[in-house]
Amino acid sequence: MLKLNDVTKRFGGLIAVNRVSLEIKRGEFVGIVGPNGSGKTTLFNVISGVYYPDGGKVLFEDRDISFFPPYKRAPLGIGRTFQIPRPFGSATVRENVAVGAMFGTMRDKVGVDESMVIADEVIERVGLQEHRNKPAGTLTPVEKKLTEIARALAMKPKLLLMDEAMAGMHPNDIDQMVSLVKTLAKEQNIAVVAMVEHIMRAVVGMAEKVIVLHQGAKIVDAPTQKALRDPKVIEVYLGHPLER
Amino acid sequence: MFGIQLAGNLLQGLVLGAVYGMATMGLSLIFGVLKVVNVGHGAFMMVGAFVALWVFNGLGLSPIWAIPAAFVLGMALGFIFFHTSMKRLIKAPELASLLATFALGILLEETVKLIYGADFHGYNWIVGKVSMGITVMPMSKIYAFVGSILIALILYFWFTKTRGGTALTCVVEDSEGARVCGINVGRAYALSFSLGIGLTVASGVLLTMFIPVGISPYMGGVYTLKAFVIAVLGGLGSPYGAFFGGLIFGLLENGSYSLFALIPGLEPFAMTRFFSFLILLLILLIKPTGLLGTK
Amino acid sequence: MKESKITKYYPLIPVCATYLALFIIGESVPGMWQLVAMLAFYCAIGQAFNIFLGMTGYVDFGYVAFMGVGAYGMALSVERLHMVEGIGMGVVFLGLLLAVVLATLLSLAVGAVALRLRGAYFAIATIGVNEGFRYLIEGAKLWGGSEGIVFYGQLAKALGSETASQVSTFWADVFVFLIAFMAACITIVYMRSKIGYALTALREDEDAAKVMGINVTKYKIIAFITSASVAGLIGAAGWALKLTNVFPPQVFEIHYTVECIIIVLLGGAGTLLGPPVGALVYGLAKYWLSVIIPGFQLFIFAPIILVVIVVFPEGIMGLVKKRWRGTGLGKFIE
Repeated sequence: MLKLNDVTKRFGGLIAVNRVSLEIKRGEFVGIVGPNGSGKTTLFNVISGVYYPDGGKVLFEDRDISFFPPYKRAPLGIGRTFQIPRPFGSATVRENVAVGAMFGTMRDKVGVDESMVIADEVIERVGLQEHRNKPAGTLTPVEKKLTEIARALAMKPKLLLMDEAMAGMHPNDIDQMVSLVKTLAKEQNIAVVAMVEHIMRAVVGMAEKVIVLHQGAKIVDAPTQKALRDPKVIEVYLGHPLER
Repeated sequence: MFGIQLAGNLLQGLVLGAVYGMATMGLSLIFGVLKVVNVGHGAFMMVGAFVALWVFNGLGLSPIWAIPAAFVLGMALGFIFFHTSMKRLIKAPELASLLATFALGILLEETVKLIYGADFHGYNWIVGKVSMGITVMPMSKIYAFVGSILIALILYFWFTKTRGGTALTCVVEDSEGARVCGINVGRAYALSFSLGIGLTVASGVLLTMFIPVGISPYMGGVYTLKAFVIAVLGGLGSPYGAFFGGLIFGLLENGSYSLFALIPGLEPFAMTRFFSFLILLLILLIKPTGLLGTK
Repeated sequence: MKESKITKYYPLIPVCATYLALFIIGESVPGMWQLVAMLAFYCAIGQAFNIFLGMTGYVDFGYVAFMGVGAYGMALSVERLHMVEGIGMGVVFLGLLLAVVLATLLSLAVGAVALRLRGAYFAIATIGVNEGFRYLIEGAKLWGGSEGIVFYGQLAKALGSETASQVSTFWADVFVFLIAFMAACITIVYMRSKIGYALTALREDEDAAKVMGINVTKYKIIAFITSASVAGLIGAAGWALKLTNVFPPQVFEIHYTVECIIIVLLGGAGTLLGPPVGALVYGLAKYWLSVIIPGFQLFIFAPIILVVIVVFPEGIMGLVKKRWRGTGLGKFIE
């Protein structure tokens, strides 16, 4: 469904993403992993349209979307959450989630009232009913994250890009969120791509396959358990090859 | 004959441009560090103009003494305004700081009006003239020119050679990075704002050395607009850009006046003003970072 | 379901009531009409300005240019068309139409340059347009140049001098009332539709809005043009028709933009009731201050704006909305 062919992104003389190719199928759960500076944020931004590639192509359902602005990608079915949640602070949770429905894949089929109905459903699934009418700015960080996820889900996406730095979150919260996303995504056949700094419980719990980036290039693209044991990956994180 | 007149006009424009440029440096500095556009810019220049008036008419001293006096007053005003209002608006949306500086400008205008009344004032500083072949330049304008260049040079050295100055340059580049390097960003903000206002008020004195009449509480508006054009010309965050932008603007302003005066059916003074805004809009369309901007 | 369709528009009721009350007071209490007309004017420009400032968060410092160009629309229509046989009130309606056309054209031109810019650059570009346009008119001696257009005579010729006098002293102000109400209707229709949600999103976080699928430029343009066209109508009715003249320094005077900003901020930017509340507070305060301590109004208002911005940027209605949200009364407040 999503294909990157030899995507390259440069900033001046620095090559942030170096000829990366990958493929994500419908309903697949993938983790994109790499330490700081590996280019994963840039890659994410190229997929969501914040940046346009300097080389290569981004294809979604066989359509070349490399140069589509972000607002054109959402109705195609690409949804995104942010590392530090950015809900619309002065709007209520309900209104936030409804915005997702209004401009997402269903934009031509739903009006404001129907979007509110969809929002209510999603909020229920995500467990935020109590906070429905509270301004999003007054929520706790975990609730804000849930609002963002709900908003993205209300878009009825086909692909969900999750910019996750679960560092700093309580392991219980991480587990809860991971299982929630997994359940909802499986139900609606949404592919989820989570971006994390290193392979840890969130990714292991969720991802079927892992793509590891290092200095802008893809070094591993394998099912999770295999990737965990790959010496190249260990080398990247330890800085030196493992002597065995 | 027209050629000589034009050349003379251009020279006058260059000299005035230096004053304009120096006047805009404060605006660019404040924007570069704080990302705030001082919409009340002209009002601060007006304060400087009144300082010059007071020093000359009231104290009987040469207006050159007004320059440091205005600068100190400006820094004090900047410091006060920063700590009472601007400080709290750094995290607020841009609209807030725009309106705050706007309100400050109005407050200054009204306060000065209360003290001096709404009439026009002026002073007469006669220090002779110099003939420069194509035109005759009063010494007062030359003093203004030299003063502007001196101040710009001093600023240049301060930014590049001193710790305080280089710290500010770091904050312009990347405030988070600067913070990590141990630079007290809060103090940098306060310093930049105060310095920027100080420069702006001092420039008001220099302006009166060039145009010693028409000093009134509401004189600032025109200069705010010119400063915007100059700042955008030179790149909004760059004080050096502002200076050179000012020179270019001075040349354009005077040059275009001569040209418009040739075309019948046009009112050259208003057309010159129109022209400067046209330039502003063209630059914003084509290269918003300014002719000399890098980003 | 049907019930909720109507209750969505309940907040129009207090607005309507306010304008109606103003009108009635103006008509029945002798000598009040001028004050009421001024308040209506402020309500109108507040509502119109709010459509852009309140809903997008961008400040158009050159807003008065749209009012000015609208005034010219009315003036030009009367000046050039008054001699057409039997045109009568048609000059006035054509004037209003021309005002909208001119304001829309200008806003498209401004928008093309300014709306790609953010924050400070946008503000500067809009000031540039306001001033640039004014000096173009003066410098190239367009439309009467710096002498402006005086058209009472032509209006009298088209309508007969008694009607002309009635139009400029009464009906012009009535138009302003109607325009204010129309602006309020437009505001709430936008607010309750996808347009309103898109604008709120882009006001809060433009980048996140884009990722959500919102074409921010399109919505900014919609708000901008709407706000500008209404301003054009106000300039045509509240300035040109009422005063029967147009002078560049007067109609491009930046302090009207200042007043718009004060009214909207004070009342509550982005709310429906904010502009009328702000207009009444500002208008009445200005009037009383000018009676008690003439010449001091701005001196008082400048620090007030400062305090409002720093301490409660939501304005009066913003605070009221927060407290009454979700309650019975809350349905009438927006």
